[in-house]
Amino acid sequence: MSTINFANREINFKIVYYGPGLSGKTTNLKWVYQTVPGDRKGEMVSLATEDERTLFFDFLPVDLGEVKGFKTRFHLYTVPGQVFYNASRKLILRGVDGIVFVADSASNRLRANAESMRNLRENLSEYGLSLEQVPMVIQINKRDLPDALPVDMIRAVIDPEASFPVFEAVATEGKGVFEPLKEVSRMVLSRLADSA
Amino acid sequence: MIEPTVALYGDAFTKAAAVLEDLIEQAQVRYALLVDRKGFVLVHKEALWAPRPPALDSIATLVAGNAAATQALANLLGEPKFNELVKQGEKQGLYVEEVNDLALLVMVFDNTTPIGRVKLFGKKAAAELDEITRGAVVMPRELGIDKDFHKSADAMLDDLFGN
Repeated sequence: MSTINFANREINFKIVYYGPGLSGKTTNLKWVYQTVPGDRKGEMVSLATEDERTLFFDFLPVDLGEVKGFKTRFHLYTVPGQVFYNASRKLILRGVDGIVFVADSASNRLRANAESMRNLRENLSEYGLSLEQVPMVIQINKRDLPDALPVDMIRAVIDPEASFPVFEAVATEGKGVFEPLKEVSRMVLSRLADSA
Repeated sequence: MIEPTVALYGDAFTKAAAVLEDLIEQAQVRYALLVDRKGFVLVHKEALWAPRPPALDSIATLVAGNAAATQALANLLGEPKFNELVKQGEKQGLYVEEVNDLALLVMVFDNTTPIGRVKLFGKKAAAELDEITRGAVVMPRELGIDKDFHKSADAMLDDLFGN
């Protein structure tokens, strides 16, 4: 659910990076933070443990600019991927406008990808939402791994009906980071226009 | 745009801003913010004497996350809710009062300001903001954002995130 502040002429969207632990959600946000010019981004907030695992969330506001007189911003969040942080994950999904699901290409993470997708469905349902109602794209990360599974195999597990746009990525090198973000942003804006 | 949203504009925004201005004067706080439960700033006001505030987006996001976590804790303990949240440092404090299930009132104050004063006027302001925010809930289709907005924004995405 975007938030519109007519008085300040602002419109804000919430985009959440979801996926299993260590799939590269925070790496995506760090790359965006490093790459977007200083005047187009706010401070990045990371609530992480000492070993840099996300504890609650990472947050990065990005300014799209002024659209039809409205200052338009995307608030990017990551969730903690580790299974036992589900209570936190659920909270971050509140008011979500769009999702980037970050899947891990490693052969031993296929099940973790599937479980995370199932967990996403369950958590959305607690807000009365289904995946069909929320704009989502899938980023298949770590394509540079020597044991990277074929994209089709990963997709067959997390998106068997091929419902969502898929992007391959190596987030540590910035490859495939902006494409899924741009696509989900487009989908979110399109939904806003459709609902008007 | 999936759910109803709080859209403060016109009269509702003016009223909410006036409540925050009165609050700053009466409670003698540095900053007062009305934020929604998702962590977006709806209205904010600053005391004339206060230094430039830190990133308001970050404050709103962290307060909303904290409030959501506090609510989850209350639920685990069988409480319907925990009402207020106070953080006190050496020089400044932060007080959060629940306005309703849509919004939170955030105040940042100097430690020279008595906390009792902050709470007293904070609760009064929250009651006034409750009515204002409830009256400002609209369905997405009522917001009047048209397809032109989408087209213009779409072109700007290439500029920000690359082709």
